[in-house]
Amino acid sequence: MSAEHKEHPSPKQYVQIAIVLAVLTAIEVALYYTEDIVGVFTDPLLIFLAIGKYVIVVGWFMHLRFENKMVNRFFAGGMILALFLFAIVMIERATGNFFN
Amino acid sequence: MTKIVEPDKQTNIFRRPSSEYGIWSWITTVDHKKIGIMYGYAAFFFLLIGGLEALFLRIQLAQPDNNFLSAAEYNAMFTMHGTTMVFLAIMPISAAFFNYLLPLQIGARDVAFPRLNALSFWIWTFGGIFLYSTFIFGTAGAPEGGYLAEEVGWLGNAPNGGWFGYQPNAGFKYSPGTAMDYWAIGLQILGISSLVSAFNFIVTILNMRTKGMRFMRMPVFTWMTFAVAFLLAFSLPIIAIALFYVTFDRQFGTTFFLTEGGGDPVLWQHLFWLFGHPEVYILILPAFGIVSEILPTFSRKPLFGYPAIVFAGFGIAFIGFGVWAHHMFASAISPVAQAGFGISTMVIAVPTGVKIFNWLGTIWGGKLNLKTPMLFALGFIGMFVIGGLSGVTHSIVPADTQQTDTYYIVAHFHYVLFGGAMFGIFGGLYYWFPKVWGRMYNETLGQIHFWTMLIGFNLTFGPMHWLGLQGQIRRTWVYAEETNLGFWNLIVSIGAFIIALSILIFMANWMYSKRKGEIAPFDPWDARTIEWTIPSPTPVWNFSKAPEVKSLDDFWHAKYGEDEEGRAVRRESADDLLLQLEEEGLNPEEEIILPNPSYFPFVLSSGLPFIGYAVIYKSIPLALIGVVLLLVGAFGWATEPLEEEFNTAEEEE
Amino acid sequence: MSSGHNYPHESTGVETRKLGMWVFLSTEILFFGTLITTFMIFKGRDFPGIKLTDVYDIPFTSVSSFVLLMSSLTMVLAHNALENSDQEKTRVWLLATAMLGSVFLAGQIYEFTEFYHKGFELSTNIFSSTFYVLTGFHGLHVFIGVVFLIGLWAIGQRQQGLSLDSGFNLEFIALYWHFVDIVWIVLFTVVYLI
Repeated sequence: MSAEHKEHPSPKQYVQIAIVLAVLTAIEVALYYTEDIVGVFTDPLLIFLAIGKYVIVVGWFMHLRFENKMVNRFFAGGMILALFLFAIVMIERATGNFFN
Repeated sequence: MTKIVEPDKQTNIFRRPSSEYGIWSWITTVDHKKIGIMYGYAAFFFLLIGGLEALFLRIQLAQPDNNFLSAAEYNAMFTMHGTTMVFLAIMPISAAFFNYLLPLQIGARDVAFPRLNALSFWIWTFGGIFLYSTFIFGTAGAPEGGYLAEEVGWLGNAPNGGWFGYQPNAGFKYSPGTAMDYWAIGLQILGISSLVSAFNFIVTILNMRTKGMRFMRMPVFTWMTFAVAFLLAFSLPIIAIALFYVTFDRQFGTTFFLTEGGGDPVLWQHLFWLFGHPEVYILILPAFGIVSEILPTFSRKPLFGYPAIVFAGFGIAFIGFGVWAHHMFASAISPVAQAGFGISTMVIAVPTGVKIFNWLGTIWGGKLNLKTPMLFALGFIGMFVIGGLSGVTHSIVPADTQQTDTYYIVAHFHYVLFGGAMFGIFGGLYYWFPKVWGRMYNETLGQIHFWTMLIGFNLTFGPMHWLGLQGQIRRTWVYAEETNLGFWNLIVSIGAFIIALSILIFMANWMYSKRKGEIAPFDPWDARTIEWTIPSPTPVWNFSKAPEVKSLDDFWHAKYGEDEEGRAVRRESADDLLLQLEEEGLNPEEEIILPNPSYFPFVLSSGLPFIGYAVIYKSIPLALIGVVLLLVGAFGWATEPLEEEFNTAEEEE
Repeated sequence: MSSGHNYPHESTGVETRKLGMWVFLSTEILFFGTLITTFMIFKGRDFPGIKLTDVYDIPFTSVSSFVLLMSSLTMVLAHNALENSDQEKTRVWLLATAMLGSVFLAGQIYEFTEFYHKGFELSTNIFSSTFYVLTGFHGLHVFIGVVFLIGLWAIGQRQQGLSLDSGFNLEFIALYWHFVDIVWIVLFTVVYLI
């Protein structure tokens, strides 16, 4: 099934990826406790780390990197649409009371 | 005659259904054509009910200060009319077209997931029954101190918070009783059905295309189906969650949309219209597709600007996601948002206009063959343009603030959804009638149907424009005599009955022609797309062998060549080709394996209403029945192969 | 799928059911997107009453997040084992994944019970409602995933074992499982850490 696509990673590589994920999670939790030191950078850093983990799992564990381009576009399309729509709703709801 | 391979051993736990006739063949079928026909009939049944509700509304409004319906009953009727027409009539009739035609247009033997297809039909059916069971089991109390507290007949036992269910009006405080719960959970179930069919159609179009059926060779109807499936797949989840919130608010004491607990009623409007506006395009795009099939066939010209029509369709679908807040100009949203959504609403008129001009370009200079489908398609263009133009006026926020909640809005969206979607759908019903039944409809009755409907429609919804601008308010069960609105309201009500008459003519034509109509010729319309290369009515196996498509409008190019001046000239071989196609279509050479019927889609979906009742009445036994049905259905489904195993060596008989 | 021997299918080259699962997951983004949006909108609001920050236990949730993250590893190892036609290993990793998923669910049940004891109930206020519906909806997904995994494991016990080509397919259950995991990656950050 997957032979015609690019080669999937080996079990060893999967374990290495999992270790990276675990480390990222540890950093996240650490960031939570060091909020006083890191200050305003905490939240952007946390979001950045979450995106990183997300991409790793989707790309490697779900093999999206090795998948047909169309599947990639579809999934990315759903993501972008959702981000776009919900960003508008969130901003509108957060500022609506302010402007009125 | 047929070479359909019968299974020769049963590998699963339950006995497999095998009836080919009678009610069980319909309940267990996974054939996209049968499912399409069931969708069509069931949706038409609900269309009649929704129409009846509309007639009740019009009787009440025919005269000032009328008391045919009480205020509460009126509320229930307009709520159910809207909900029924959107979710139980137009959407499933479109689904009927998708089901029947999509595999035929892309040259497939069935959809990608035949059992899921049956599942979405049965979920839809049970959802509809669940929603309508509110008339028997539901209660709609009156809020304390409201004037709705008068005595209410059984008609009032229905949801009464509007099809948009605005919060907190549709919350438990202002809509006590269980009727609004039936609405919320009923829509939830219907949403699951549409979501499942959306996956199915997307995958079908992506993966089941026949040889040579590249994307840019697909018929426009298939393209519009694709766009609709995208819209469904990406907008229904939003309303599903919003309906969850409503159910939680009403049943479990949360306050998502209730300000007293910190909730936000405007959030409901956002979530509802985030779904609700794409929904408008879900209703209209199938009609766009149908009309784009009818116009070139009856103008005897290729569709003008095929790529433009396709991209405009997707443009509409994408921009359609970005205009939802124009339904909320009168709500508490910020001026910045109002300006932004006003602009995006004007922008969406552009791709729609592109389509209109493409259709006009298709008719231009064509040899028009004014048969009933063509009449409906032309009527569609005219009526849709009127509705579209009044729609653009709503994008101007100050004007919209004036028009909101008046009959002007009602006029606008009926011109779009009735004059647009329903005219397109009726055109499609006539156009593909010979394909489905193998007989011709009665042309005279068809023409009478068109003209009565066109007149009735304009009498009904035309005057609503000025009634609305004069200030008649929507969703209000009476108007005072001094307002001088009586005359035009009477005309509107008369128009509504003319529409009802035209529907009766249609039904008579349908029932008669289906049994006694003339036998349809092989290619009655001299059509362009490959669903006409197979015999009518469509054989169970659709195509006896996978067709190979070499160009857009493949069937046309097989029949017609060009002379030196670029005019279409019928090839001499065309008639032989038709005979040959008919012969081949009825006598497949290869063995054919079709998916076997299954009980489990039916069983699985029958569990959902029980779960719905269980949530409303907080009943554990009902929940258990529902869960058991779901589990039995899912287990049977998972252990049952789509096609029974067979032994190829044995079937040479 | 529903095709005769010579009937073309899979025009895109992606297996039909897998494609279906990807389409489904794309729409799941909108499901969770709506829930997260609601959560975020109310998180920013100033409303009196008990908040999630008054009751939660970051070390505990971190551990259960870690458990769910690792279940993605075991899942992908099961998939890998099946690609190498190692039925025995596939079953072991499947069972391990189901176990890790169950541990996560147990942790969530424990957490919810604790919160209830501290007075943070579903209908307490808007913060608790959004929290429970959001994490509960995810929990439901994990639960369904665990049922799928155990079902797969049970089918794997039969003599033919599992296969990537037909039947109740490991590949698309794996996709679903990883998706549930990435949703939690987002939720852990959005709900607990920020």
